[in-house]
Amino acid sequence: MTSMCEATTRVLPGAAVIELAGEVDGSAAGVLTAAYERAVTASADSADLGTVVLDFAAVDYINSTGIALIVSVLARARAERRKVVASGLSAHYREIFDITRLSDFIELFPDLDRAVSQLGTA
Amino acid sequence: MTQVARPTPERLDAFTLPSQPGNERLALARVAGTVRGRGLSDARLERLKTAVAEATMNAIEHGNGNRAEIPVEVEVTRSGDDITVAISDQGGEAHPGEAHPGEAHPGDGDHEEPDLVKKLDGAQSPRGWGLFLIRNMVDAMDITTDGQRHTIWLTMRTTGAAHDEHV
Repeated sequence: MTSMCEATTRVLPGAAVIELAGEVDGSAAGVLTAAYERAVTASADSADLGTVVLDFAAVDYINSTGIALIVSVLARARAERRKVVASGLSAHYREIFDITRLSDFIELFPDLDRAVSQLGTA
Repeated sequence: MTQVARPTPERLDAFTLPSQPGNERLALARVAGTVRGRGLSDARLERLKTAVAEATMNAIEHGNGNRAEIPVEVEVTRSGDDITVAISDQGGEAHPGEAHPGEAHPGDGDHEEPDLVKKLDGAQSPRGWGLFLIRNMVDAMDITTDGQRHTIWLTMRTTGAAHDEHV
């Protein structure tokens, strides 16, 4: 019943999209870190990576350890002066982003298309 | 003196799980199946599922030390309008998040109220959200310790919608 976290990285002008699938829990640490590294590396030569979009549309479970991983990504991105936005969160996980105050630092979009289009990268 | 009769709790389910990482998902699914259709909205059921998963994860990791041979016990009861999930381990007092300030606990820094700004500044571990999430997900939370037996009680009212509107 469990599904390991998977991540696909796409680089767009001015942004990188990390599409997550499965479960964002402790087992996702390596996947998420590697996806972020890919995003940074892939964009380094081609475009300015101003924004990292985390897409959760295919994520079915986030636990407290997963929240900690997202905090770590956000902390690193802020240190590197990159913006982080999120899309595709269910109502329940949007609520958790509100409770934890992650939504104070990560703008939330209903879906990836709207996140990308509002970033001006479509 | 008038005595108010309290309803006797009705046991809806009781089961045990080996203390292995990941088994919190089994607890979540089974509790959800038990309480679904008993008066919780979908949003409140999702909250209870998250609380059950976090509490079971704590019991597995911090209470029973990931020792599979020590079971985590889960009991679901209903008393009047309240649905309560009790999750027990054999960790006694050794639970992070329930200690007095300044008391050292190894691991995830769950003993300090999580502060995202501090976490982003590196002044606090990125971890430590478990008990915070549980408290914010349920209508009532209680913790009891009887010798080595440590139990967290998670209660959701099936009639009130107030928590839905104010979180």
